[in-house]
Amino acid sequence: VFLKESWSYSRNMGTRSGSALQGPRLKAIDQASELYAQTKEHMFEAKAAEEQGKLLKLQQELEISTGQPIFVDSSVSDTIRTLITLGNHRAAQRVKVDFKVPDKRYYWLKVFALATAKQWDALEKF
Amino acid sequence: MAQLPNLDNGPVNLSNLREQAQRELGEVLDSMRGKKVLVLDPQLSGPLALIAQTSLLKEHGVENLYYVDADPVQTECKNVIYLVRPRIPLMKQIVAHIEQDNGRQLQKSYSVIFMPRRTIVCEKVLDEVKAVGNVTIREFPLYFIPFDEDVLSLELERSFKETKVDGDTSSLWYMARAITKLQELYGVIPNVKGKGKAASQVSDILLRMQREQAPPLPASAKPPEIDTLILIDRQVDMVTPMCSQLTYEGVIDEFIQINNGAVEVEPSVMGAPPSNNAQVSTKKVKVPLNSSDKLYREIRDLNFGVVGQVLRQKAVSIKQDYSDVTAADNQSISDVKDFVKKLNVLPEITRHVNIAQHLSKFTTKPTFLSRLSMEQTLVEGQNYDASFTYVEEMIHRQEPIESVLRLLILLSVTNNGLPKKHYDYLRRELLHSYGFEHMFTLSNLEKAGLLIKQEAKSNWQAVKKGINLVPEENDDINPSDIAYVFSGYAPLSIRLVQWALRGEWQQSEFLRLLPGATFERFEKNQEVNIIRRETVPSTDSVPGTDARRLVILVIFIGGVTFAEISALRFLESQEGMKYDFIIATTKLVNGTTLVKSLIDDPSAS
Repeated sequence: VFLKESWSYSRNMGTRSGSALQGPRLKAIDQASELYAQTKEHMFEAKAAEEQGKLLKLQQELEISTGQPIFVDSSVSDTIRTLITLGNHRAAQRVKVDFKVPDKRYYWLKVFALATAKQWDALEKF
Repeated sequence: MAQLPNLDNGPVNLSNLREQAQRELGEVLDSMRGKKVLVLDPQLSGPLALIAQTSLLKEHGVENLYYVDADPVQTECKNVIYLVRPRIPLMKQIVAHIEQDNGRQLQKSYSVIFMPRRTIVCEKVLDEVKAVGNVTIREFPLYFIPFDEDVLSLELERSFKETKVDGDTSSLWYMARAITKLQELYGVIPNVKGKGKAASQVSDILLRMQREQAPPLPASAKPPEIDTLILIDRQVDMVTPMCSQLTYEGVIDEFIQINNGAVEVEPSVMGAPPSNNAQVSTKKVKVPLNSSDKLYREIRDLNFGVVGQVLRQKAVSIKQDYSDVTAADNQSISDVKDFVKKLNVLPEITRHVNIAQHLSKFTTKPTFLSRLSMEQTLVEGQNYDASFTYVEEMIHRQEPIESVLRLLILLSVTNNGLPKKHYDYLRRELLHSYGFEHMFTLSNLEKAGLLIKQEAKSNWQAVKKGINLVPEENDDINPSDIAYVFSGYAPLSIRLVQWALRGEWQQSEFLRLLPGATFERFEKNQEVNIIRRETVPSTDSVPGTDARRLVILVIFIGGVTFAEISALRFLESQEGMKYDFIIATTKLVNGTTLVKSLIDDPSAS
C-alpha cells in the first residue's frame, strides 16, 4: 500500500512541471521519500527521492542566481554540464560534492562540457 | 499506400487470412450507409496498410481519411467512423470531438469501431456522449496481420510491458483468440508445445476457447494444415533481443527501424532525389521490404558482412551478360529478351546497394564494433568486471539510455542479477545521468525481471553449454549453424525451437533452468493426425520427392526480432529439414523498441 501511494505521489510529481509551482512538487517528493522509507526494501527509492528533492531546491537556487531557467528538470549530470559550460566551476564542484558524484563521471562531464563551450585551453590544461 | 506483400508462396497460404480481414473490414465500413469519413487511430494506419489499399476503402464509401488527435475533424460529411484500438486516451479525444460538434449544432452519425474488440472501460467513457449523439459501437476482429508469407503479427506494441509489468493479460487473450481464428481457417493444430509463463497462459485460454465451442465447427474437421504450435514466452529469452542483430534485415531494423514491413529513409540515401518533384524531395522515401522483392528475399537473412559481396556478384554478372549481348553478333531475339528480363532486377540491386552503403556507415564505426565485442563477452558470460566498467562508462558519457539499458539488461540477465553493491551504484548513476523520472523505468525493469539484484548464482553457463549457444566454430559466409545471425551467438529462443522439434521437450534437464513452465499436449480425437504421422516416414524414404513437409507455427509472445526470424528461415532451408515455419508474434521488435516500451513517460499517464 505504501508503495502504491508513493507511486502516485511521485507520479504526480512527475507530471507537475513548470518552475512556478515548485512548492507543491517539493512537498510531494518529500512525502514520497517518507513513504518509501517506511518499508525496508525501498531504501534505495527513499534515498533517490530525497536526493531529487535536494536537487530541485538547488536547481531553483541556481536559476535565481544565474537568472536563466535552464536547470529545473534536468538530471544531476546535466546540471554539472550546464554549470561547467557556463564557466561556473565552483558551483559545479559543489554539486559534485553534494551528490557524491564519482570522479570518473565528473571528468567525463567536464570534458564534454569544455568541448561544447569550446574552451580548448582549459581542456588542454585539464 | 504501398503495394501489399505477396502471400501466396508461404508454407500455408496466408492470403486467405488477408482476404478474410478485407471482407470483415468491408462489412464494418458498410455498416454505416452512404458516404463517410474514416478517422483512424494513428497506431493502426501502418498495420491497416498491410491489409487494404485505399481503393478498397473508397469502394466502401470512405471519402476521406483522418487521424484521431486533439483537433476535431473538419468535415462536411454526416457520417463519421472512428477505427481505433481500445485505448482510453483515444476515447477521451473522441468524446471531445463529438461534444464539440454537438456544441456547434451539427447533426452527425458516429460509429466507433474497436479493433480487435470493445472493452468495458472504453464503452464507459463513450457513455458520456452516447446520450447526446448518435453513436454506435462495433468491432473489427482483426488479430493477426500478415506481414509476409511466413510472418504474422498482432502489432500490440505494449504487450510485453502490459503482461510483465502491469499484470494486464489482455494481449494473451488476443493471442489465443488469434490462434483460434487461424484454426478456423487452417484446421485445429494437433500438437502444442510451449515454454514460459505467458506461453502456458495462452495455451490455457486456447483450450478453454476450444471447449466453449461445444459443437466443433465444420472447419475443425478439416485436416490440419499446421502440424505443431510452439509457444515461447519472450521472457524465457531476453538475451537475444538485447544483442545487436547482424543479419541484413536485422541491421536495417537496428539503424533505420522497419515499420510495418517498410523503412523510411532520406531521399539522399536512395540516390539523387527526382528533380522534377521538388515538393516531395524533402519527404522521406518509403521502401517496402518484403519477399515480393526477389532480391531482398535472397539477402535479407544473410549476415550483413556477406551482403556487400552478394550484391557485387549480382552486378558483375549483369555486366558480364551485357558484354555478352553486345559482343555476340548473331544473337537471337530471345537472347536479348532474356537479358532485358535480367535487367529488371537492376532497380532492386541499386536500391539495396544504396541501403547497404548507408548502413555500413554505422556498422564500421569503432563504437559499434566495440559494442559488439562487449555483447559477445557478455553472452559468453566471461569477464564480468570488464562489462561492468563498460556499462558504467556508457552511463557516465550519457549515451542514449536505450542502448545503455540494452547492455545493462544483458549484464543482469546473464548474471542472474547484479551484486547488490553494483546494482544500487548503477541505478543511482542512471538516475543522476538521465534524471529522476527514470525511477519508473527502473521499477518496470525490476518487475519484468530484467534488471534485478543478484540473489542466487547464475545458471547462464549451464544453459549456454546445455544447448551450445556459442558454438566453437562459426562461419558467417557459409553458415552451418544459426549462430551466424549474431556472428557467433545462437539465439536461445531458436535453440529452444530446435529442441522442441527433436522431441526432447518436457524430459529435458536444462529446460528447467529457464524460467516458466514447460508443457506439451496433443489434441485427442485427431485420427487424421495419427494416420498422417504413420505415412510420413514412408514417403520420406523415397529420395528426391519432396515429402510432405510439416508446418510448424512458432509464436513468440512478447515480440520477435528479425534475426530470430532469419534463423528460423535458415533452419528451414537446411538439408534434411522436414519442416516449414510460420512465425507469429505480438509485435516485431528489437532491443531498442522493447526497452523503449519499458521506459515510462510520466506525461503519458
